[in-house]
Amino acid sequence: MQEEIIRYENIGMYFDSKKIISDFSIRILRGNKVLLRGKSGTGKSTLFKMLLGFKEPSEGLLYYKEKPLNSQVAWEIRKEVSYVSQDTDLGQGPVKDLLDEVFSYRPNREKKSFERLNTLMKELELEKDILEKNFETLSGGEKQRIGILISLMLGRDIFLLDETTSALDIGLKKKVADLFLKSEDWTVFIISHDKEWERDGVELVEFGKEDLDQSRV
Amino acid sequence: MASPDISITSLILCFLLLAVPLAINYRIKLQITEKVLNSVSRMTIQLFLVGVFLTYIFDLNNWILNLAWLLGMTTVASYTAIRNVELKMEKLFLPVILSFTAANLSVLLYFNKFVLDLGGLLEARYLIPIGGMLLGNALSGNVVGIGEFYEDIRRNENRYLYNLSLGASRYEALLPYIRKGLRSAFRPTLANIATAGLVFLPGMMTGQILGGASPLLAIKYQISIMIAIFVSTAMSSTFSILTTTRTTFDEFGVVKKEIYKEKGKKEKRKEKNKE
Repeated sequence: MQEEIIRYENIGMYFDSKKIISDFSIRILRGNKVLLRGKSGTGKSTLFKMLLGFKEPSEGLLYYKEKPLNSQVAWEIRKEVSYVSQDTDLGQGPVKDLLDEVFSYRPNREKKSFERLNTLMKELELEKDILEKNFETLSGGEKQRIGILISLMLGRDIFLLDETTSALDIGLKKKVADLFLKSEDWTVFIISHDKEWERDGVELVEFGKEDLDQSRV
Repeated sequence: MASPDISITSLILCFLLLAVPLAINYRIKLQITEKVLNSVSRMTIQLFLVGVFLTYIFDLNNWILNLAWLLGMTTVASYTAIRNVELKMEKLFLPVILSFTAANLSVLLYFNKFVLDLGGLLEARYLIPIGGMLLGNALSGNVVGIGEFYEDIRRNENRYLYNLSLGASRYEALLPYIRKGLRSAFRPTLANIATAGLVFLPGMMTGQILGGASPLLAIKYQISIMIAIFVSTAMSSTFSILTTTRTTFDEFGVVKKEIYKEKGKKEKRKEKNKE
């Protein structure tokens, strides 16, 4: 019997008294790869933010490893789950310094490895000198790859990927999908419009089929 | 040698000087007559009242009363600081007033004891004016520091949340914002210190020289007071930022939206003024 990692149970969300998410349920077990697909602006990103404790659902229940989500569980999730947001925003300053800051956080202190960094940079086609550049001057695609790089360096095995490959070229999209999908015991929950994620072993879930309000959260 | 007295007639002569800005105002239609008259009369009435009160307080020189007066000033300073940063009172007032009191009172007592070597630490003549100078300066530093900190968090909320998702504790994720806020809070005081004496003589020094003190004694007071001002500004802004985060963030580490005043209102008012 596989361990249950994430469960959404009849989740609903109102925004300005309009319902943007309604009755969403899903169960994700260890090792599952789930691709959530749907129109943009339907609240898919909000589902991830709920799990991280950044947004509270208006209705329904959320479970992480069978524990109902509360603040304590949310802090635990943030140490065990690797989240890549739609537009990675690390802050101002050289990429190198920002990476150092991330690896100065208590749960990540032992995780920094130059070898791993070098390998991943090569795989993601990032030039060495990017570490010296100011993060804010990077292109959208470069920022996305830095987000991916960090998520893979943290040594975690549960991933929330929100439109992680949208700004990459087709070759890189495929490569990134390979990186995340190759390990059998990794649990990966993906939001994406990219075809590269649709492959055998990835469960496709259509989201928000009924035409709900288009307002963004 | 003491300062010469200013008679009522002399005061009236001084007010006559206002004819100059008012004439400019009339000639180029600045439309600030009301504002000028309003500000000047407020200042006159406030200072007159303070003068009367202080006369009594100095005469009585009761330490409980002196401390109460100081606490009153602290309350007004905290209230003004929060109002000026466009944040709501409820969640912030208590931590800010506690920070102001702890920072200013400790610096003030240290100053009175070790720098001025006063017999009575709570002597009205020293406690109230020096306390006022520390508070006034700490106030502007706090307005800049707290304001910058919370505005930055609001502007870059996704960045902050992303850092939380990477496993940062609230404090770890807030550190870049704390640094930035404190740097801004210290900057005006440090600039003042660096230019002291170059452009203008600081108010306290001017007062002492007018009162007959030697310039050398006056600068020694000025140097000490500037250091005390910097220390109390640094302490109170650090305390305020750190202690307010205990009440302005929820248990998930997310900033409570209700601490911000509605942005719309202020901008609408600005637009109205433009018309």
